[in-house]
Amino acid sequence: MKLKSMFTPLRVGMIAAVAVGLFVASSARAQLPPDVVKEALSLASTRVEAFDILGGDYGLSGGSYKSTAQNVDTSVSKFGGMGDIGIGEIGGPAPLGNTGIAWQPRLQGSMGSLSTEKKFGNSNPLIKGDKNKFDTFAIQFGGGARFWLNDSFSIAPTIMGMYGYTANSYTANSAFGKANLAAARAAGVVDWDINTWTIRPATELAYVYTWRRTIFTLSSSGTYYHTESFNSTNPNLTINGNSEMWQNKIDVDVPLGVQLFNHELRTGGYFSRSDFYGDLDTGLNTEHVYEAHGRVVLDFLGQLWKCQWIGLGYSYLWGSNFTGVTYGVDVAFRF
Amino acid sequence: MEKKVIISVVKLTLLPALLLALTGCWTTPNANVQPAGKPGLIQGGIPVEIIQEPVTVTAIDAAQRRLTLQHANETTKTFVVGAMVKNLDEIKVGDILKATVKAELSVYILADGKLPNADGTSQTINFDAKVLLVDPSYRLLTLQFNNGQILTIKAGLDVLLQKMAPGDAVVMRSNEITAIALKKP
Repeated sequence: MKLKSMFTPLRVGMIAAVAVGLFVASSARAQLPPDVVKEALSLASTRVEAFDILGGDYGLSGGSYKSTAQNVDTSVSKFGGMGDIGIGEIGGPAPLGNTGIAWQPRLQGSMGSLSTEKKFGNSNPLIKGDKNKFDTFAIQFGGGARFWLNDSFSIAPTIMGMYGYTANSYTANSAFGKANLAAARAAGVVDWDINTWTIRPATELAYVYTWRRTIFTLSSSGTYYHTESFNSTNPNLTINGNSEMWQNKIDVDVPLGVQLFNHELRTGGYFSRSDFYGDLDTGLNTEHVYEAHGRVVLDFLGQLWKCQWIGLGYSYLWGSNFTGVTYGVDVAFRF
Repeated sequence: MEKKVIISVVKLTLLPALLLALTGCWTTPNANVQPAGKPGLIQGGIPVEIIQEPVTVTAIDAAQRRLTLQHANETTKTFVVGAMVKNLDEIKVGDILKATVKAELSVYILADGKLPNADGTSQTINFDAKVLLVDPSYRLLTLQFNNGQILTIKAGLDVLLQKMAPGDAVVMRSNEITAIALKKP
């Protein structure tokens, strides 16, 4: 099991555009045009779904993200992980009859919060100084099994459930914003909150290869998310969407052969590419994210109960319109 | 368009890898196999610390600092209690303990349980355990004792784990207790 305690922004730029559109449209009228409201709510719907996944899903790293295209800062704090549970006296996979296949149960969980804020500047002179903010909390849990088809290759089908909560708040500092905020609120476009549930089936293929003492792990996982809303303060804001993510990763785990505090020093890291589809692609306004992660850890396996390593990790993430960094304690467990 | 091309390339790359990976089947760890290699001593004098728990105290010789312990399988063994153990005077016959024992391992490749000598003769090695699993990356050596008990040891950096394999014979010499924790009287 690996635990991550790490950090994100993306599509809030579009929120800005819609907000400006809304206010401009409403400037001469008491009510917002229905088609504009509909567009804004549709955007909010995909965004909430994406924020739930980004904020709560263990498959994506938390961290501090900065949009390169928009003046948007996003931070994600996340704690979670996954692990295969050892069976029997040896604590490894158990044979599945005489099939030549072994299996072990798998648990996964994560919880996190996301906060993203767009501060309107000179590019939006009408609402310069206004702020549009989203806060998301999400928690997920689930499990499955890992099936070892041989000593190196395994398939792990899993299913998870996730609860999410997202709140939007708009701070009007400009004269225009102050004059039109009530209409935007009345239309349910700003200052709302919503609860969501997500079902998350996934399958991971993994191949483990040990060269001398270095462990290489190649993995490819496909994940599907179906999200629906409940208990929203805005009855017109409903979510019923689907997203997919395909993540390919290579991890290298290298023992260094030197001891520190009576524990062997290890280094390594991973490089991954996550491709987004459906509302996740739309909501985050990016098709894929690369992550390069490095770590320096101390080996505790067999020395501290269920603990594989403790150390420090650092990641750099980049996509088509943003960059991000994440660092923190890197802890791995083996059950 | 670019995304579709990348996906197609990845699929084409993954497919042969998948087919390659699917060959063979998972094998249950087994210590009762003849290891490959020439019979002989792989490494001797490997220092390890082993936790024995639970063990029952069957005799105490406080003057000589000796303790006789009975394992769950009713085998008994007498150990010297090291000077670093300060709570020996609190121990009574019948107590159930967790004892940390300093041991030395010697790992052999044997041919039918025998070790060939240079002069062409051979000697029988009364081994205590066999190697069940070796994880050279995390330096874990899993032994299966003759009574079926399984024990995983964290080996030192100087232990030649890469030369060890399931089925290797292990002789364990342990006679000094380095720590005692009283479980219950």
